[in-house]
Amino acid sequence: MVNSKIAISTAAMIAIAAAWSGPASATGLSSNVVAEVAVETSAANVIQSMADQAMNELTDQSLADDVRRKKFVSLMDRYFAMDVVSRFVLGRYWRSISEAEIEEFSVLLQNYLALNYANQFKEFNGEQFVVGDETQKNKDTFVDSQFVRPDGPPVNIVWRMRMFDDSYKIIDVSIEGLSMGITQRDEFTSVIQQNNDDVGALTAALKAKTGL
Amino acid sequence: MLTACASTEPAQDTSDYDPLEPVNRVVHGVNGAVDFMVLYPAAMWYRDIAPEPVKTSVASFVRNINEPLNSFNALLQGDPDQAAASFQRFIMNSTLGFLGFNDVASDFGIPYRREDFGQTLAHYGIGGGPYIVLPLLGPSNLRDTAGIGVDYVANPLTWGAQNSDTAEALYLGSVGLTALHYRYATINQLNELQKSSIDYYAALRSLYRQQRNQMIRNGGPSPEFAVEDESASFDFDDAVEAASK
Repeated sequence: MVNSKIAISTAAMIAIAAAWSGPASATGLSSNVVAEVAVETSAANVIQSMADQAMNELTDQSLADDVRRKKFVSLMDRYFAMDVVSRFVLGRYWRSISEAEIEEFSVLLQNYLALNYANQFKEFNGEQFVVGDETQKNKDTFVDSQFVRPDGPPVNIVWRMRMFDDSYKIIDVSIEGLSMGITQRDEFTSVIQQNNDDVGALTAALKAKTGL
Repeated sequence: MLTACASTEPAQDTSDYDPLEPVNRVVHGVNGAVDFMVLYPAAMWYRDIAPEPVKTSVASFVRNINEPLNSFNALLQGDPDQAAASFQRFIMNSTLGFLGFNDVASDFGIPYRREDFGQTLAHYGIGGGPYIVLPLLGPSNLRDTAGIGVDYVANPLTWGAQNSDTAEALYLGSVGLTALHYRYATINQLNELQKSSIDYYAALRSLYRQQRNQMIRNGGPSPEFAVEDESASFDFDDAVEAASK
């Protein structure tokens, strides 16, 4: 992690130096090479590309709601460790269902989240998403970001990421210090508990919500 | 637990503890009905009718009326700098800011920070204890309910209200404005949550716990503490391990 951070700051410094010295081809080239390496290793860059992609694909107001939701789901597939998130929000109950049921649950969860969040992108108007610093804590990298609104104070969003097979995946998102994963886990496990520890009750409720 | 011995680390609750759940759910339901009839329509009306400058002034007033308690609790938490800052804010905003309707102290670079007695107890290591849904007031826990009681008694405005009609009018007015302001401030998020959640009660309970944790550690956006780390029962490491099997 320390290495990749040094790589980023080195890349940044070289890039600044290159920009400063004008189009000096030799330095310009080397900065591109270093920057590309950094793109693959930095968690902050992963968040930036996801945000760019989301802004490109989801904010189009002419998009039909179900199409936007589908795009949202495929973004989650790409950037989130859904196998981890699905198990996390089930808490210890993940053990009580089969592998196939977890798969089914994962699809339901994605569609449920798309139902709740995808439409937020429809109303985008003048908002900006700014990616900030990243911090390493134990096994995870936390990427700071701000959602800057034209009216009202900025919203702080922190992305909790973990490295799987050499690439960063999101395992949690906190908005103003409130973890979406923990909130969802606490809510879902409560639903299961209220129904005599039957995960099927939660799945049924998600089916009813998402219409799947 | 409220009976836990005090330590130097501020308390952070990592899971919901709700032995009174059946009763709490009933109170939650009644609160929802009362809210729907009184506070919710008032807040909707306020949201849609009141101009932005009015809302900003009301928000400042509501914060300012709480400053003596913020100062008092910061002092109890062994933070005289923050206590002085809150007191300074109170003096500046009450005079220059015309009874607190203008937050001039923020313009001078003294930011607002809320401190209550629940946070003071937590600062000395006392956990939340059982979750409690208070009639009218909503989500709380045993520690924070005790905190509300202490803050009520410690509030200079409540002493004043017993002796002076003006202070009483100010106190009652501030209670009304505080209720309106906080209901308005959360109206969009709570509408969304109520619509999207499967178990609204449980989602609120989790959010209350996380928000209090955040206030107790005076959490800014620092990623180091912004994310609640581990759960008592099942954390992210468990999930990663589960997924790799």
